[in-house]
Amino acid sequence: MASGLNALRSALPVAAALLALLLLWQFGTTALDVPAYILPKPAEILATALGRIGFFGGELYVTLVEAVGGFLIGSVLGILLAVAMILLPVLEVMLMPLAMVINAVPSIAFVPLVLLWFGLGMSSKIAIGALAVVFVVLLNLLSGLKRPEAESINLLRSFGASRLGILWRLQLPAGMPALVTGLRVGLARSTIAVIVAEMMGAYSGIGQVIYQATAQVDSLTVWAAVFVASLGSLALYGVLVALDRKLVWWR
Amino acid sequence: MSLQSAVRSPYAAVLIVAALWLVCVPLFSIPPRYLPPLPAVIADGVSVWPDLAAGFWRTLVETVLGFLAGSLLGITFGIAFAASKTLERAFFPIFVALQTVPVIAFGAIVVIWFGNTILAKVVIALYLAFFPVAVNTLRGLEQADPQRIALMKSFGASRLTLFRKLLLPTAAPNILIGMKLAVALSLAGAVVGEWFGDTVGLGVMLLQALYFELIPRVWVLIIACGALGTLLYGALALLERRFVWWRPD
Amino acid sequence: MADLAQAQAGATMPGQPYMELVNVWKRFGEGDKQTVAVRNVDLAIQPGEFVTLIGPSGCGKSTLFNMIAGLLPSDSDGSILVKGKAQQDGALLGKVSFMPQRDLLFPWRTVLDNATLALEVEGMPKRLARQKAEALFPEFGLKGFEQHYPHQLSGGMRQRVALMRTFLFERDLILLDEPFGALDALTRSMMQRWLLDIWEKHRRTVLFITHDIDEAIFLGDKVVVMTARPGTIKCQETITLPRPRDVSVVTTPEFMEVKKKLLAVVEEESLKTFASATMRP
Repeated sequence: MASGLNALRSALPVAAALLALLLLWQFGTTALDVPAYILPKPAEILATALGRIGFFGGELYVTLVEAVGGFLIGSVLGILLAVAMILLPVLEVMLMPLAMVINAVPSIAFVPLVLLWFGLGMSSKIAIGALAVVFVVLLNLLSGLKRPEAESINLLRSFGASRLGILWRLQLPAGMPALVTGLRVGLARSTIAVIVAEMMGAYSGIGQVIYQATAQVDSLTVWAAVFVASLGSLALYGVLVALDRKLVWWR
Repeated sequence: MSLQSAVRSPYAAVLIVAALWLVCVPLFSIPPRYLPPLPAVIADGVSVWPDLAAGFWRTLVETVLGFLAGSLLGITFGIAFAASKTLERAFFPIFVALQTVPVIAFGAIVVIWFGNTILAKVVIALYLAFFPVAVNTLRGLEQADPQRIALMKSFGASRLTLFRKLLLPTAAPNILIGMKLAVALSLAGAVVGEWFGDTVGLGVMLLQALYFELIPRVWVLIIACGALGTLLYGALALLERRFVWWRPD
Repeated sequence: MADLAQAQAGATMPGQPYMELVNVWKRFGEGDKQTVAVRNVDLAIQPGEFVTLIGPSGCGKSTLFNMIAGLLPSDSDGSILVKGKAQQDGALLGKVSFMPQRDLLFPWRTVLDNATLALEVEGMPKRLARQKAEALFPEFGLKGFEQHYPHQLSGGMRQRVALMRTFLFERDLILLDEPFGALDALTRSMMQRWLLDIWEKHRRTVLFITHDIDEAIFLGDKVVVMTARPGTIKCQETITLPRPRDVSVVTTPEFMEVKKKLLAVVEEESLKTFASATMRP
């Protein structure tokens, strides 16, 4: 009850600010007579998005499937690699240079490559999404797994714990906050990478809608697509925040 | 220096990867469609050298201008949020939400506004750099220990002194974290911005390579983008060593 | 009481020490850079005995401790014997219940699950381990805090959870490395009396590191003084103060006499450490 009231109290200023911004935008553009191709009114954008809800929904669905698919593949791969490296340090010595070099390149630079390799369909978007996630998750989790001090590891060793026991009971829980950070950055990156890949070459998806509408200077559709894409990634972000609370319940 | 830390040095990493590339392509006869031999990539890079240099420079300028302006704006907003609780409570959640938005999509709108000028790319880079810097500046400023603030106040420090002597140094590590995130995003923004129509830049060349399916050229540009990103990141790391020499406790 | 101790310590022959350190050394590094952390340590610990160890800071106490816990191999010129048998590298792991200086509670585990950590590592089913731990909560003054997280507890309570974790890992020898070092004086003296209560009840063999002379005398059957680095044993003092002990014991003439004697020895060693630290360029 009290927490509900608190939530309301903290949501109130945000809602007020949001409303004020929207009103300013709506009436500002009306008063100054700003043409729609420069800045459409929020009501128009909403009307466009709602008017073609089936179309936008379908395109967003494609984008979300690609982003989530790439995110899942990339994060599972990143987690497995990090665990393998912590158990077999020789693997870290061998693979770390490659991971660092690939991670230094903005993942969008790989977009042409995955398009040439995997074609214009969904698989190329999933591949770029996975690529955008895997190293962030790997590097974050690896540094998290290394966080526990020697003292804590020694304590478990003195109880007779095996290497795997130490990983399971100490390093993995201690690495959770770092993993969640990696997942959060990774999700944002994979969404961006997928949309960018769609802009560059795709049969469908929100990015392709934006690209085509830009070419036709169809400002309203661009704005509506950006609005829909934002709702989509906000929803994904919400899922991740909930996951964060589940994985890192202690402070 | 242990083997592990030697491997973590960026120079060694580049050398190791180059050596692997040289050896593995003929050894496993990897088709050039996936990975052309390193000499072929280098030869292609040399053949387009003037374009490559001009493109590198242009993208660098776009990224740096956008990044600097975005960081400055971000720090300003971070400070404003830290100074005013009302402002923070009303607008900060909107910022956090906007940060998760696939901001690159706004690139299209910016190009509509500014046309195919360099300004369009700078604005996109600025926009992308802004959020991580603002959010991290606020987080950093909020980390100041209340007891240390009380100590400063007991010395009779004014708000400005408090800010300059305590709050800003406390926040500096976080601001730099935000800036490191931002510089990579700025680069991505500049490259993508060039796709919406331009004639010079790494992004333009990337798009051309895609259309003509020039795989060695794509690799040249991947390396160029990586080099540009590393250069900027390295400059920030130097800055960090200059301004954050202590370790937060 | 003594019979019980014998029974619990297992197959120790009468008069045979539970653990014996014979000429134990530990050197780090090679050639010129070699430093000796622990040198020529001989020590016997009887079953059920409470041995306290004091020495100036940096004297190699922790190195010695890590060797006894099996975390660090000792150099090959000496040996560590348990019930007369020499222990090879790592053989001591899982045989000694070890409590490091800091409580090292895991922030993601409740108090109850922190206490059962060692039992879980041993492979005991969670439910059984919890039942076993729950029985100890009143004795350790933690009743009602089973489901709390470490950050919700005071320093003294955290230390008791760490001690409970150590006690639940039922081994013949308990190693405690300055367990009360971080506590304030009042909490500390309460914890000391409480530890003695627990010890009288369970009668395990204890090796307790401290740098507080009062604590060493108040708790121990035997006080062992280490020299400045490289650490070795300077002297051993048997404490004959009657048990059970309470606060009043610290003001008795017997206590004062032992303290005077030990204070002189410890002072001498501390001065050596201090001098060598201040004379370095």
